[in-house]
Amino acid sequence: MTLLQVEGASKRFGNLVAIDNVSLTIEPGELRAIIGPNGAGKTTFFNLVSGLFAPTAGSIRFEGRDVAALAPDERVRRGMSRTFQITEIFPELSVADNIRVAVEVASGYRLRPWLGAGARAAVAARVAELLRLGGLTDKFHVRAGALSHGDQRAAEIMMSLALKPRLLMLDEPTAGMGDQETYDIARLIRRLHRQEGLTIMLIEHDMRVVFNLADRIMVLAEGRVLAEGAPQEIADSERVQAAYLGKAAA
Amino acid sequence: MSAALVRAFNAAICLLLLFMPFWMGAIGGYTELATRIVVMGLAAMSLNFLLGFTGVLSFGHAAYFGLGAYGAAMAIKYLGAGTIPAIGLGTVVATVAAMIIGALIVRLRGVYFAMVTIAFGQVFYFIAFRWNALTGGDDGLTGWHRLPIDFGFARLDIFQNDKAFYYFALAIFAICVGAMAKLLDSPFGRSLIAIRENERRARFLGVPIEWHVWFSFVISCLFVSVAGALYALLNNFTDPRALRFDLSGNFVIMAVLGGMRSFWGPLIGAAIFVALQDYVSSHTQNWMSVIGLVFVLVVRFFPRGVLGMLRSGAKA
Amino acid sequence: MARRMSQVVLFNVFNGLIVGAFYALMALGLSLILNLSGVINFAHGGFLALGAYLAYTLIPYIGFWGALILAPPLTAALGLVIEWLLIRPLYGKDPLYSLLLTFGLAYIFEDVTRLIWGAQSVPFQVPAWLMTSLSSQYFFLTGYRVFMMIIVAAAVGGLFAVLKYTRLGMRIRAGTRDLDTVSTLGVNVRVLRSLNFGIGIYMAGLAGVLAAGLLGLSPTIGANLIMPSFVAIIVGGLGSLLGTLLGGLMIGVASGLAAVYFPSATEAVIYVMMGLVLLVRPRGLLGEEGRVH
Repeated sequence: MTLLQVEGASKRFGNLVAIDNVSLTIEPGELRAIIGPNGAGKTTFFNLVSGLFAPTAGSIRFEGRDVAALAPDERVRRGMSRTFQITEIFPELSVADNIRVAVEVASGYRLRPWLGAGARAAVAARVAELLRLGGLTDKFHVRAGALSHGDQRAAEIMMSLALKPRLLMLDEPTAGMGDQETYDIARLIRRLHRQEGLTIMLIEHDMRVVFNLADRIMVLAEGRVLAEGAPQEIADSERVQAAYLGKAAA
Repeated sequence: MSAALVRAFNAAICLLLLFMPFWMGAIGGYTELATRIVVMGLAAMSLNFLLGFTGVLSFGHAAYFGLGAYGAAMAIKYLGAGTIPAIGLGTVVATVAAMIIGALIVRLRGVYFAMVTIAFGQVFYFIAFRWNALTGGDDGLTGWHRLPIDFGFARLDIFQNDKAFYYFALAIFAICVGAMAKLLDSPFGRSLIAIRENERRARFLGVPIEWHVWFSFVISCLFVSVAGALYALLNNFTDPRALRFDLSGNFVIMAVLGGMRSFWGPLIGAAIFVALQDYVSSHTQNWMSVIGLVFVLVVRFFPRGVLGMLRSGAKA
Repeated sequence: MARRMSQVVLFNVFNGLIVGAFYALMALGLSLILNLSGVINFAHGGFLALGAYLAYTLIPYIGFWGALILAPPLTAALGLVIEWLLIRPLYGKDPLYSLLLTFGLAYIFEDVTRLIWGAQSVPFQVPAWLMTSLSSQYFFLTGYRVFMMIIVAAAVGGLFAVLKYTRLGMRIRAGTRDLDTVSTLGVNVRVLRSLNFGIGIYMAGLAGVLAAGLLGLSPTIGANLIMPSFVAIIVGGLGSLLGTLLGGLMIGVASGLAAVYFPSATEAVIYVMMGLVLLVRPRGLLGEEGRVH
């Protein structure tokens, strides 16, 4: 079954049309990249799918069911989780506690005033596993706000992963990173895709990352779908180049 | 802070509380003052469950404090209830009110939530003020007092014996504070702290924010109403001032003064505030200016509060 | 009997409109400050009282009209000083701090006015010719009441005119929507906030002078009026000045009507209205979506 099906989604803010008739289908196991010049509406699109606001028109179906009326936290519980362009974590808590909160919520414990020894051990084990996956084991006690940019991103991704999502949405995971950090994050994402079998939707500006990881690419420009296809098609497309160059020249 | 230091600190607080009636006298205080500190400390810590740990600004907690006070007082005066059932009744009344009001306001946040909590507090103030026949109006509810508690095997004279009442109040305090501590160190408690830390991230982890805020609000009001009931018992009296918004403001300043981000902070803040208020009001007519000045000075110079400053001092 | 009953109703509705006009005047100042700076000025009632007492002090020297003209700007000047010294450092911080600070200021104001002018009510002299009734049939239509309505209408009208037609007003309106953008456009946000605060306090001072003539003057005059101002803002809608105006008038009339039909609930009725509004339309009658979070 198609995992995510967006049909004719549009979003207006007053007179501003941010997203215009965008459709997209994502199959399980896919890694879809969404690229486009600045202001193309990529993050707005993510916001629509993740539920920060409702579409002005169009439908959004996740695993066959309409989610447009669901609040963000409900969509998360249905299996969609996301990261943000500006990393959203719990800055005063330790890395381990950041992930622990995510694991506890994912395990259905969010209202529990008390955990038995067995449950606590299971939670601790899962936190340790996620720390290892994110390369954060030796920093588990560090205040999350004090981590490096790249580590904060990794922590955020691990928190989103803790929820066992069926669709992971990453908004510019390598933004503001140097080459080494970019490489580390890209490697992490690839591992999540190939080894853990996660379905990922990715907004990215770094073309090296995009072309290395993506199965399919969608190009947005000025709120509309400019092109869609396999990485090579997109790389060869003159229209896409024009959109990027046109923006750069302007 | 290391675990050992935390344990030592907790132990120190417990010792101080356990012997407060005794060392209080040595520094010019008296047992009733000590009891007032414990009661206000409970109120401030209860408020802080919502304010410091969930990150929600509520400025109307006096309403539930007062409901607890009036509930207990009326139970004793009109129903002849024993002490513990009276506290129970006060708590139930206030908690039900909190559940209803909480449901109305939980979608608001920030300044608007604060404004609405203040405004709702005033409803109860006016009811207490106007419903003379039942509440005694502005003069307050008099003509009753706390009764000795009969445990069957023993009798605790909390009425005549100041110290006995102190320890009774301390026991209730310990139960409430212990419950709050347990809640905060649980998955539910961590979800609240997550909401305080980053509401958006908490939402996108799948936490239904409004529900959790509502729970936190109700729990916070529940424990504040226990403090209110104890306060009425302490004074053998209650009046509409127990419901007024200036008391709400006092609770908040106690929490901030002691340190909002720490568990015991509000107790420290309450101790300082209550002692200060007691001292100043017996020495000058202008105690309101002094209290007002405390608010201004804390906000300008000590926003992290006593324990907050000590903590950063320890880190440096 | 029916005639007398309708007289009573009319009296209370009219009275309610007047009281509502006060609530609105005060709430507008509060709303102005809240919308632009995110500060709940708990000391607003204190400024109102200050304005009234300043007028009371000035009347023997410059008469009622002089005091009416001079007291509000003097109050606003004090407000500017306080804003500059104490409130400015708190912008951008958790609203908790400005609320606590203004709360403390309210305490100090009340105590200081008590210290300077005494705890008892003081007689506030309004020109006698204003106090006479304008109609024998409608005895409550005193000159003072009508005069007050005129002044309030002028002040509110003036405020809306300033907001709509002056550059300052435009900047305030823009800043209420998006202060960051206004700042990047080169507007000095600090000065803007100060001026906005000053206007708000001016309204409080003016309300004080007028209120003293109607309600009598004592140190608690401000504390009694601040809560209804809050309710006016909540009922009328967050972020909307027109809503605040309507909210104030509505709750005034509601409490006027309550005085006729449910006298013991006169104060509580405005909170019942607030509860209903929150139940049915949490953002208030004219409130904007998204202001709430």
